[in-house]
Amino acid sequence: MNGKPLIDWAWVGGHLDDIAMRTVQHLQIALIAIVVGFVISFVLSLWAVRYRRAFAPITGVAGVLYTIPSLALFAALVPITRLSLLTAEIPLVLYSLLILIRNIVAGFDAVPSDVVEAADGMGFSRTGRLWRIELPLAIPLIVAGLRLASVSTIGLVTIAALLGDKFGGLGVFITDGLQTFFPTKVYVGAVLSVGLALVVDLTFVLLQRRLTPWSRAQDAPTGREQHGPSGLAGA
Amino acid sequence: MPDSQLMPDSQPVPDSQPTVPDRRAATVEFEHVTKVYGAESTSNPGAVNDLSLRVPAGKICVLVGPSGCGKTTSLKLVNRLVEPSAGRILIDDVDIATSDPTQLRRGIGYVIQSTGLFPHQTVGLNVAVVPRLLGWSAARQRERADELLALVGLDPVRYRDRYPSQLSGGERQRVGVARALAADPPLMLMDEPFGAVDPIVRERLQNEFLRLQEELAKTILFVTHDIDEAIKLGDLVAIMATGGQLAQFGPPADILANPASAFVARFVGADRGLKRLSLVRVRDLPLVDAVMARPGDPVAEQRSRARGESSGYLLLVDDDRRPIGWVDLRDGDPRAAGGATLTIEMAHPMSPLLEPEMTAKDALSQLLDADVQMGIVVDRNGRVSGLITVDTIAGLTRADTGDGPSR
Repeated sequence: MNGKPLIDWAWVGGHLDDIAMRTVQHLQIALIAIVVGFVISFVLSLWAVRYRRAFAPITGVAGVLYTIPSLALFAALVPITRLSLLTAEIPLVLYSLLILIRNIVAGFDAVPSDVVEAADGMGFSRTGRLWRIELPLAIPLIVAGLRLASVSTIGLVTIAALLGDKFGGLGVFITDGLQTFFPTKVYVGAVLSVGLALVVDLTFVLLQRRLTPWSRAQDAPTGREQHGPSGLAGA
Repeated sequence: MPDSQLMPDSQPVPDSQPTVPDRRAATVEFEHVTKVYGAESTSNPGAVNDLSLRVPAGKICVLVGPSGCGKTTSLKLVNRLVEPSAGRILIDDVDIATSDPTQLRRGIGYVIQSTGLFPHQTVGLNVAVVPRLLGWSAARQRERADELLALVGLDPVRYRDRYPSQLSGGERQRVGVARALAADPPLMLMDEPFGAVDPIVRERLQNEFLRLQEELAKTILFVTHDIDEAIKLGDLVAIMATGGQLAQFGPPADILANPASAFVARFVGADRGLKRLSLVRVRDLPLVDAVMARPGDPVAEQRSRARGESSGYLLLVDDDRRPIGWVDLRDGDPRAAGGATLTIEMAHPMSPLLEPEMTAKDALSQLLDADVQMGIVVDRNGRVSGLITVDTIAGLTRADTGDGPSR
């Protein structure tokens, strides 16, 4: 130790613009991946829910993708998609699939069978039942999946910094800091990345509370018996 | 939220059009209906074997039998949650195979044991499910939901904004029934609707159900495994045996009086004679005329009247023919000795007063409790209509022939 402080606050103070820009970039890259990953996962999950036989192959493939080392995947894509946003997003999306599909399918599976039967018996069409009965009741587990996927995606974005400073978000600080032996940058990148993940996670928690008012009614003084999937906590 | 943006079930039905058919009750007919499940079926629902029966409009038909007898399957065949392997089902003489399943179901009330209430919707929205599917206006949906909650005994103001998880078991069942009634369907299917609540609540729900049915006069197919519930609720009872065979079909009194087979006799129980008593009301029974006297009547004259009676008792009544008590004018009763005229003091405490609406079962139990042979039947105003004896009631349990009195 040569007496230099761990964090050079002067550098931080002088680079607030840069830090803000990286944070926003980080968030953008992560959100694109989460949104695209969710759309793909949702479609595949609906397919797996309706045709049970599709479930094993879908999660099998998603599971294999999940095992590929992230460093290798980013590097392997460069010859194909060049140094583009696509190269950053493809691995992020692929890594989100397994978590999201598992949770979305579990969410639909958790809808009580008597509720489904009642919906059929009342005369819901299949589509109507899906959107108006099953999807709302699957929300707690779907959001639980989104929380997991978004936290892991936000962490993975830092690795995309290998593709250059256009795609790494806060990861650019980390790689720069490592290369120049400047710990302040590493800390700023890591701490803000963690902070971002926490903020996004909290946002999803609040979103779920907004979307599922009935699960809070459970705690009301008149509530006597636990009933339905709203009692399920996040996975 | 996709919930609100996609409404594929709502057809823009003009509100002025009657979406509710004006017929209030439908006939249902099973014609040689068979449902076979393949070996691959894991849940092992009960099969149905050549079921034929006809339920007239406005009647409650209870399907009862041991588990696996196909009673629930039979119910689900009617709203096409299950499709028959052979045979057909007619509602108002129309083969249901020709109608669109979702449209068919919107016209049939459906209540299941676990209620199947939608946990994410308030009680008000739950009740208005079918009206919403039928495209009623929001205002009309709300109005209808309130009306039905009141009908099933739940204060709309207190209950409409609650979630199902905030209700007790009995309240949920009521909401389930209200929901099934929402579009005023001519036919209701009820699968053990009172099976999940405790016996006291069940009893109350059953009584309310009967009261409601008196008003609504729907055709109801009702499934239970409880023979007592079947006898209590059914205008017609269909007893099903394992394997989906119809063992006997008819009014409960007939089944209790003449079980068609050893299986039915065993299923309705060794106490079927006693069970039959709960089908008979006191008003249905032959009454014995009471020998009545009033305070102030001369004892000597009445004594000779009483001698003609096997019991030797006179029933002392007031000027409005309301009973006061029994007078024993046989020799040796110290109360009656001495006086020249009948007085209130001579009267012995009365046996229980029975009302015409009472079931024979309750009447018998009152007589046995009071350890008397004879009960006094009084009308609405408390006036004596006649007497009933333990023997008369007990005789009912033995009558194994003839058509039992209907309710």
